[in-house]
Amino acid sequence: MGRLISNPKILALAIIGFAALLISLAGGALGSAFGGGFLGGPIPHIQLPAEKVFRVASYDVVNTSVMFWAAGLLLVLIAWLATRRMKEVPTGLQNLVETIVEFFDGTADSVAGGARHAGRRFLPLVLVIFLVVLIANWLGTLPGVGTIGRIEPVEEWVNHRLHDEEAAIKQSRKDQGLPLLGDADLHETALRETLSKNASEKFVVFSGDGLFGIVPIGRGEDAKASLRDIVDIDDPDIHRVEDDLHAGLVKRPPVTENDPDKYASLVGNRAGIIVPFFRGASTDLNTTLAIAIVAMVAVQIWGIRSLGFRHYSGKFIILNRGPINAFVGFLEAFGEIARTISFTFRLFGNMFAGEILLIVMAFLLPLIGIIPFLGLELFVGLIQAFIFAMLTLVFGVMASIGHGDEEHSASH
Amino acid sequence: MGGLGISLGVLLTQLVSFLVLFGLLYLVLYKPITRMLDGRSQRIRESLEAADRAQQQAASSAEQVEEELARARQEGQELIAEARSAAGQFRQQEEERTRLEMAGMLERARTEIERERDAAVEQVRRQFADLAITAAERVVERSLDKDAHGELIDRVLEEGLAVRRN
Repeated sequence: MGRLISNPKILALAIIGFAALLISLAGGALGSAFGGGFLGGPIPHIQLPAEKVFRVASYDVVNTSVMFWAAGLLLVLIAWLATRRMKEVPTGLQNLVETIVEFFDGTADSVAGGARHAGRRFLPLVLVIFLVVLIANWLGTLPGVGTIGRIEPVEEWVNHRLHDEEAAIKQSRKDQGLPLLGDADLHETALRETLSKNASEKFVVFSGDGLFGIVPIGRGEDAKASLRDIVDIDDPDIHRVEDDLHAGLVKRPPVTENDPDKYASLVGNRAGIIVPFFRGASTDLNTTLAIAIVAMVAVQIWGIRSLGFRHYSGKFIILNRGPINAFVGFLEAFGEIARTISFTFRLFGNMFAGEILLIVMAFLLPLIGIIPFLGLELFVGLIQAFIFAMLTLVFGVMASIGHGDEEHSASH
Repeated sequence: MGGLGISLGVLLTQLVSFLVLFGLLYLVLYKPITRMLDGRSQRIRESLEAADRAQQQAASSAEQVEEELARARQEGQELIAEARSAAGQFRQQEEERTRLEMAGMLERARTEIERERDAAVEQVRRQFADLAITAAERVVERSLDKDAHGELIDRVLEEGLAVRRN
């Protein structure tokens, strides 16, 4: 230890690292409570559903789809580069891809009973699942994912909620036997209701106008403007309210406890939320569910193909062997659905939590806080991809070898 | 479901996207890579087998060479031994023959010498007998009958010879 510290390079690195840690602490969310926070940023809006990025015809494309396609393109590109000019003695990319394929080939064979090429029919899907999930997970940790996006103005944000509110008011008036409101009245009531419900909802304040707006470094969580700071929600004139909403500019600076004028310069700036263009594909339940459905359907197909439909379905539909066995069959069938769901939520949960972990660490320790967690996320991404692929393989092998007691009873 | 963000449209989008991606990756990634891997393992197995065969062949041919060498060596040794024994036999025969020849020549020479000597002795004796008779005639002054006194003379000569011989 002493020798390590006496090495000038290591000593310098340690000092720089320690200084960076101190600066991060002071500049992050912890430091902002003591007047620091010069490196801080706002916590992005976190929501489970994927955000819509653009519209094609009448179909909304979400950011996780974009990332899924990006992962797919990257994979196809890697595959093409690796297999374009195959060499007998592999080098570079071909070597890497061959190593991965060979590893899964060997694993599939050993799981499927050990015979050479016994696992070959499981291999394509297992391999593709591993690669796709791995690349999708890893792309999710790139900088810019979740932080670069479209600015959704406050008006748009309110309008999303307005429709539900109008429907709710209509329904409640109908339930209470009150007369239906006219369109204008309904709109005003719903708008006022929505605004007062979300009055303390916080919006990020952007600098710059037009297409490009940024959140300058140091504009932390307490520099967010609430809806009340943007729109004078108690103004009796609904048109002025609507104008405020349409402008979407900060009217009153966000108030802080110890320094009321700290954010006075924010007045007149645009407020809204960031709708990221990119979001890790596996942080969307649709993606993980889609892969899980493919995996479980493939498992059923493998089972039917190796045992025959009658034999395989005999695992789920057990008639004339008493109610307990029938219930066991029902449990087996339910188990397949449970597997699909656990597939879905295992991957989603890990990756979504990882994304939030990175966000929070960037919030708490802006400079260096996420470095160890990026490593952790890369590791988790690899492990989750491996688990998904291996479970698909194991379920497939289990489905394609006969269930013992069935064969036993068939011989009676 | 809406609160969780699950919507049929997005779900279908992701589902179709995944299936399309699966198809693409199956064609671009899975097929070529597995073909490559299988081809390579096939080739490795084949070349290992070929190497095995070559090794076996080499081993068996080395054994063969060894065997052949041993056989050649043995044959050579046999040839040498045969030649040696043949040479020995030949020498023996030659020696024997030479010995016999020499013995024969000696024998012949000896008999020749004996015959020559006998002839010489006979001649000398005859001349001596004639001489003796002639001398006796002179002494006796009478002619002695060669036939009648031949026996006597011979006896005398015999004695004389015996004396000389001794």
